[in-house]
Amino acid sequence: MKRRKFIKLSAVAGTAAGSGLGPLLMDLDAFQTSYDLSRVEAKFYKKHPDREIECVLCPRFCKLGDKERGYCGVRENIDGTYYTLVYGKACAIHVDPIEKKPLFHFLPGTPTLSIATAGCNVNCKFCQNWEISQVRPEQIDHMDFPPDKVVKSAQKYNCPIIAYTYSEPVVFYEYMYDTSLNARKKELKNVVITGGHINPEPLEELIQVVDAIKIDLKAFTQDFYTKYVRGELKPVLDAIKIIASSSIWLEIVYLVIPTLNDNSKELRDMCRWIANEIGPDVPLHFSRFHPHYLLKNLPSTPVSTLEKAADIAGKTGLNYVYIGNVPGHKAENTYCPKCKNIIIQRQGYIIRQFNLKNGRCTYCNSRIPGVWI
Amino acid sequence: MANSRVIIIRKKGFLSPNRIPDLNSLIRMFKRGFSLLDKQGDYKIFLRNLLKPDDRIGIKINTLGGKSLSTRPEVPQVLTSLLIESGIPSKNIIIWDRTNRELKIAGYRLNMNKKGVKIFGTDSRGLGYEQDLTSHLNIGSRFSSIQSRIVTASISLAIVKDHGLAGVTAGLKNYFGAIHNPNKYHDSNCNPYIAELFSADSIWKKHRISILDALLIQYHRGPAYHSQWATEYGALIFSLDPVAADFTSWQIIEELRSAKGLPTLKEEGREPVYLKTAEKMELGNASPANINIIREEI
Repeated sequence: MKRRKFIKLSAVAGTAAGSGLGPLLMDLDAFQTSYDLSRVEAKFYKKHPDREIECVLCPRFCKLGDKERGYCGVRENIDGTYYTLVYGKACAIHVDPIEKKPLFHFLPGTPTLSIATAGCNVNCKFCQNWEISQVRPEQIDHMDFPPDKVVKSAQKYNCPIIAYTYSEPVVFYEYMYDTSLNARKKELKNVVITGGHINPEPLEELIQVVDAIKIDLKAFTQDFYTKYVRGELKPVLDAIKIIASSSIWLEIVYLVIPTLNDNSKELRDMCRWIANEIGPDVPLHFSRFHPHYLLKNLPSTPVSTLEKAADIAGKTGLNYVYIGNVPGHKAENTYCPKCKNIIIQRQGYIIRQFNLKNGRCTYCNSRIPGVWI
Repeated sequence: MANSRVIIIRKKGFLSPNRIPDLNSLIRMFKRGFSLLDKQGDYKIFLRNLLKPDDRIGIKINTLGGKSLSTRPEVPQVLTSLLIESGIPSKNIIIWDRTNRELKIAGYRLNMNKKGVKIFGTDSRGLGYEQDLTSHLNIGSRFSSIQSRIVTASISLAIVKDHGLAGVTAGLKNYFGAIHNPNKYHDSNCNPYIAELFSADSIWKKHRISILDALLIQYHRGPAYHSQWATEYGALIFSLDPVAADFTSWQIIEELRSAKGLPTLKEEGREPVYLKTAEKMELGNASPANINIIREEI
């Protein structure tokens, strides 16, 4: 595939991911679309007799014979050694504002170089990026974009942050990890946008090299995770607790889907769990669902439902509750929990006001948790 | 559901030392198998009733296991010769699997020319997977355009293998190679996914016959090849009932396992429960009482 066609396809993927490439790909002559998959040994797996392996990266614990791939579709057992096939094989490369992740309390207004590879370790029926997350790497165009080039590109395009996003970064763990290490050496930040379906050991290692993680908490019942995510809730909650107890920044997004995960009790249970287990200061974003992928039979989430969810969260004691995918809504703003003034006013991904100084509200001097400029 | 007939034609010891099957024996096996499926006992009539001359026939083989454990090229070669003899134009026959690379490794010579029997993978230029998803029961997949658009009649020419998750992989699971995301359907012993995928229109409405290459059976530690648990069984299995064909394959694998002192698949927690699901979905029979097995040796 010619570079021009890749750019076009990436732009399409960018639409799905809600972004454009901006100027970045105009200058990617150095990178050629690659047909080859990587063969870099995976970090987290066990070898078993008869060339079988067990992946221990995520809670699926895929047990695979020779020549078989994991559920993610991007890791393969080749003669008893487990390999990642997507190391340095980016299928989406964009410059996005950090607000798009969304991370609202982490360097607001900062551009991020955002990358993804093919693959995912769950199969959400409402996935917005299924064209890249639910395919095998050989089924989508990708570019050779090894860690050092990612870092150089971030510097070149004035992106102080590299975001691992769009599909599921857990499945390109080794690529993300090495890129993060390189980025740190150049004083760049790393943020991870994930469903949190990862085992504790790899997560704890990852936390050592990244600066913020946004978790998509898909629901608060195992039944939903079984039917609509094909995953498990408990490991995600465990991951949230591990991140919250670390020194890196955490935000949580909850996509509210009409009739499936929007009942008041479930929302209240989740908010109480967050307040009790994580604390009231973790930002919680209620995002609006739009019909997509395998859930086209449901309407978009009514704004009133999102407002009800935000109200429940507020009454539960959570201090930073946002409504997402509703541009211009007042709940896009950050309010000081103490004086109630707007401290960050947002419109879509644009920041209109910024009333913070040294991490404190300029009106009442209250400390606002986050990582600020 | 009416009783199903499964034909097992066997010729012991006809694989050469390098495991290339004898073509003449294969021809006899195919003719006998088809004849036993025909009411009048005539393989030509059987094939003429099975397929129309204007059908575009897809022979879905399985080349996942490399040179050692894939549908052997000689098997579709003989099948196509009989199809041509029965009046199917050679240009209307496609031998296919997921990728050209896997086909070549398994010993196939690719052919995308307009003339002659075609041999190619879904990843060939201009093919690929459908852009639109097929959403069917618990399945959400893009189908190979070969299966969805090109082929009008489908033959599952799979091999018989033990499978670490499904228990058994044969004619039904062979169609996992017709979708872009088979890795998403291996949970819970691939149940109900194997049955549900087969029931999708692109497969169910086109499938005509299961023919299983059981010349070499991997009865343990499949689906990859492990020589110590592979045996030269020397059989072809034929059935118009895809579920009964796979059920019979399972029984053969259990016989081989038992002979080697291995536990049953059920004891190993990987009984092929998708066969019962397929039966409940009325895709075929998975109950011994409803399956009439005819065994012959040539």
